[in-house]
Amino acid sequence: MGNLFKTKLNAATIVLIPACIGINYLGKLFASLLKLPLWLDCIGTCIGACLGGPVIGGVCGAINNIIYGLTTGDNITLIYALTSFGIGIAVGVTARMGFMETLPKSLICALAAGLAAVIISTPLNVMFWGGTTGNVWGDAAFAVTQANGLPVLLGSFIDEILVDVPDKIITIIIAFFILKGLPEKIKALYDVNAEVERLD
Amino acid sequence: MSGLSLYVDQGTYLNRLHPYTKLLYVLTAILVPLIGGKKILFAVTIASSILLLIIGKTLKRAVPLIAFSFTLIIVIFLVQGLFFHKNEIPLLSLGFLVFYREGVMYAAGICLNILNMLLSFAVFVLNTPPQELVEELEKNGFSSKFGYVINSVFQIVPQMMKTKDTILDAQRSRGMETEGSLMTRIKAFLPLISPVVMSALINTRERAIALEVRGFGRKNKKTFISERQKLKGDTVITALLFSLLILAVVWRVKSCL
Amino acid sequence: MSLIQIEHLKYRYPGTDRLALDDITLSIEKGEFIGIVGRNGAGKSTLGQAVNGLVPRFHNGAYGGKVTVSGVIAENTPVEEMCGHVGLIFQNPFNQLSGAAETVFNEVAYGLQNLGFPAQEIRSRVEEVLKQLDIWEYRERNPFELSGGQMQRVAIASILCMRPEVIILDEPTSQLDPQGTEEVFRVVEDLTDTGITIIMIEQKLEKLAKYCDRIILMEGGKVRCFDTPEKVFSREDLDECGVEPPAFTRICREYALTLQDGTYPVKLEDAERLFREKGVSPEKDAPAKIVSSGNEEVFRTSELDFSYIRNVQIFKGLNILLDERPTAVIGQNGAGKTTLVRLLKGLLKPVSGRIYFRKEDISGKTVAMLADKVGYVFQNPDDQIFKYKVLDEVMFGPLNIGMTEKTAREESLNAISLMGLSGLENVNPYDLELYQRKMTAIASVVAMDTDVIILDEPTIAQDYPGKRLIGNMIRELSRKGKLIIAILHDMDFVEENFERVIVMAHGRILMDGSADEVFAEDQVLAEARLQKPYITALREILGK
Repeated sequence: MGNLFKTKLNAATIVLIPACIGINYLGKLFASLLKLPLWLDCIGTCIGACLGGPVIGGVCGAINNIIYGLTTGDNITLIYALTSFGIGIAVGVTARMGFMETLPKSLICALAAGLAAVIISTPLNVMFWGGTTGNVWGDAAFAVTQANGLPVLLGSFIDEILVDVPDKIITIIIAFFILKGLPEKIKALYDVNAEVERLD
Repeated sequence: MSGLSLYVDQGTYLNRLHPYTKLLYVLTAILVPLIGGKKILFAVTIASSILLLIIGKTLKRAVPLIAFSFTLIIVIFLVQGLFFHKNEIPLLSLGFLVFYREGVMYAAGICLNILNMLLSFAVFVLNTPPQELVEELEKNGFSSKFGYVINSVFQIVPQMMKTKDTILDAQRSRGMETEGSLMTRIKAFLPLISPVVMSALINTRERAIALEVRGFGRKNKKTFISERQKLKGDTVITALLFSLLILAVVWRVKSCL
Repeated sequence: MSLIQIEHLKYRYPGTDRLALDDITLSIEKGEFIGIVGRNGAGKSTLGQAVNGLVPRFHNGAYGGKVTVSGVIAENTPVEEMCGHVGLIFQNPFNQLSGAAETVFNEVAYGLQNLGFPAQEIRSRVEEVLKQLDIWEYRERNPFELSGGQMQRVAIASILCMRPEVIILDEPTSQLDPQGTEEVFRVVEDLTDTGITIIMIEQKLEKLAKYCDRIILMEGGKVRCFDTPEKVFSREDLDECGVEPPAFTRICREYALTLQDGTYPVKLEDAERLFREKGVSPEKDAPAKIVSSGNEEVFRTSELDFSYIRNVQIFKGLNILLDERPTAVIGQNGAGKTTLVRLLKGLLKPVSGRIYFRKEDISGKTVAMLADKVGYVFQNPDDQIFKYKVLDEVMFGPLNIGMTEKTAREESLNAISLMGLSGLENVNPYDLELYQRKMTAIASVVAMDTDVIILDEPTIAQDYPGKRLIGNMIRELSRKGKLIIAILHDMDFVEENFERVIVMAHGRILMDGSADEVFAEDQVLAEARLQKPYITALREILGK
């Protein structure tokens, strides 16, 4: 279990964090530029988690939201730092368990990320927004559940699943392809068990 | 200043106040109405935040920060006003849509809280350079590695964003379409995001070297070269904000007895 | 004891099976200026990084032998300790900025802050070094908004203020424009007087030869030779090592003029003296000119106006006609070179005026519509590469413009072999080095078989063999009747490979003619702030 969370806090992993946050920003930017019906704003967090481990992944996610809050003045995003943190941890742990090795296996990783997002976001949605998420399709579903007298928590849970799970699946697939193409020297940089071998 | 930060140095008193003082203001403005439990308190804190935004010459720049929440506010009024589970007394009916009193009140509570949070936070972000906050935190024992992360994001992310147009141009030059059917657009995503990700990750190798050769990771205590004089106002305002918080708690406890 | 001692150093990068450094033994004395030369991939940077301990402490891998710097063993010393002894500057100025500081002053101070020096000491040291490198006036600026040359000086300042005993300069000018290169070399020249030990890896050998006490020639991870510049550059196996001797050496070799010890001179003064003593004066050379297929009109602009921001005009009433001759566009940064070629490619739209491609007005056409006619190789290959195999990357463009799978593959394989990448078709481009990725990007455009190919700074980061490959490509494609337009900073390369040269400054065309004509116009070159090719300059001096 200890190995799952093993983290090297050296210069290489520290500079990974701002790079991953930049990737998050650009993912979101390109998704809106191409008018894709997805957010794709945590690709960097997932890559950070796969390379640096769950701790770095979690930190990437949390800092991403803190910066987003500081740069848009939106302190409600700050609270969702918890969600991003959870996504980073979930992806990091499942990746270390070997669920990023093949594309079919990576679906487990995507489900873990989606589940983490849903479990953490739902209570926050209920607390701050009365259950809505701000996404048209999700909120329409929420309205239907409320009209039919279902509990707020359940309605919000359904809303959140509709919004987050598909997005996380696509995100993980993209991250999977990117990681597959990563050059050896970069992979070696983030190998937690690397040691210098003697030649003489 | 980098393109990310919302702070603009205008030489105002609010600019010069210690980041902690402004942070405490945010905390007080958010907590007082919640602890006090009266909606009227929201009016007081919202008014004071708006006043501070005006004094700090930042009201105009605060508008876009708040504006994005309006659609959410409308959604909340719609959903809660129509479907809130405690809805009983009809307030207003538009054709077949009936808004209920309880739902609307509940929505109003949520929205006042949202506006209050956003406005008080705007006072903070528009008047505080993030680097200053980070340095103060580091002086108080916050890890300098995490300090580095926050600072570098403000420097590096805008540089990465700048590559957006070049990548678009480079791939279009090779005949890639970025408009058209959903499938075409989905296919364009990987050719756009991959170069950024790859170069960002390859650059991390060089940047890590650059940090290593500049003594990053040394165990000794880091030196801070900028000095800030503590303003008299910092102490006074801090004391005032704390007493308001205590007052709110006392009031709440009293009204419960 | 020598300041730097290297004994039987061997090193292999993780995940590779070739020794990057193969049994190196040498020693360097205090105060020496040492040059390292060799082709890309010879192990020059690896050797440099072995001196400050990044090899093996940062890169891991397999290591043998011993490196000591003033008695400290590099392998056992953390890099953050070693940085007090050895400073490192490398190619990319942008990646050397820490990212931790929003002003130049704080950026330079960052290392000293980490080392825990007292604040007063930091302030005075930073001030001293900023003034020394002539960047004091930028102290309040954001380092990320400086030019490449200024950024690189900030990087040097950041290292110098830590007062290391040894400074390693790893091709510090390879990604800079001529002005930035000059700025950095001026700093290097000043450093030679301070007595600091310098190890410099460099492809610009005329510059290196001027300062170096001794030069290490590397090939295949081994040291071929470690001797004076004259001895090294007089060797017969230079070509085999992918090194072209300095221009002065080449011309003296041509006329068999040797120094007393039988070596050829490497410096301008020595070459000049030898020519005068022997009473020889070199002919103005007539390099083998490229024979292009014709002078048919390809591009024509008429009364072209362009501006990025309203009221800040870049071009006003620009008229230019391009035919099939290979054309180089030269000038300082900000002269309007990139803007011009982007207009031709359709990436930018003129404010007014017309652009004709083969007599057809293309002002209203989109980039995608022109994709199969005009190819454009961007400066940074990492802005376009996204496939996992070189071949797939090269085939992306051809397939987009509607070639069949079979034709696309054929064209791509030809382009790959033209750019010297044969055998690497199935390698991940990001496992290659930057200079090979540049070749991949060029191949990916060449494979589209367009009528026009625009190259933005193709020679950056290339060594001598790489430049030769690009020169061949230009000749080959010109022969097929394609128009090659290149933005270039390397004047020697321009002189050797282009029939037509356009000199630009401040959005205007200062001159348009053959390379010989252009490089004979001192006044135009001065106005455009350009330098002559070394050989031309030397022939002129000697011809007087």
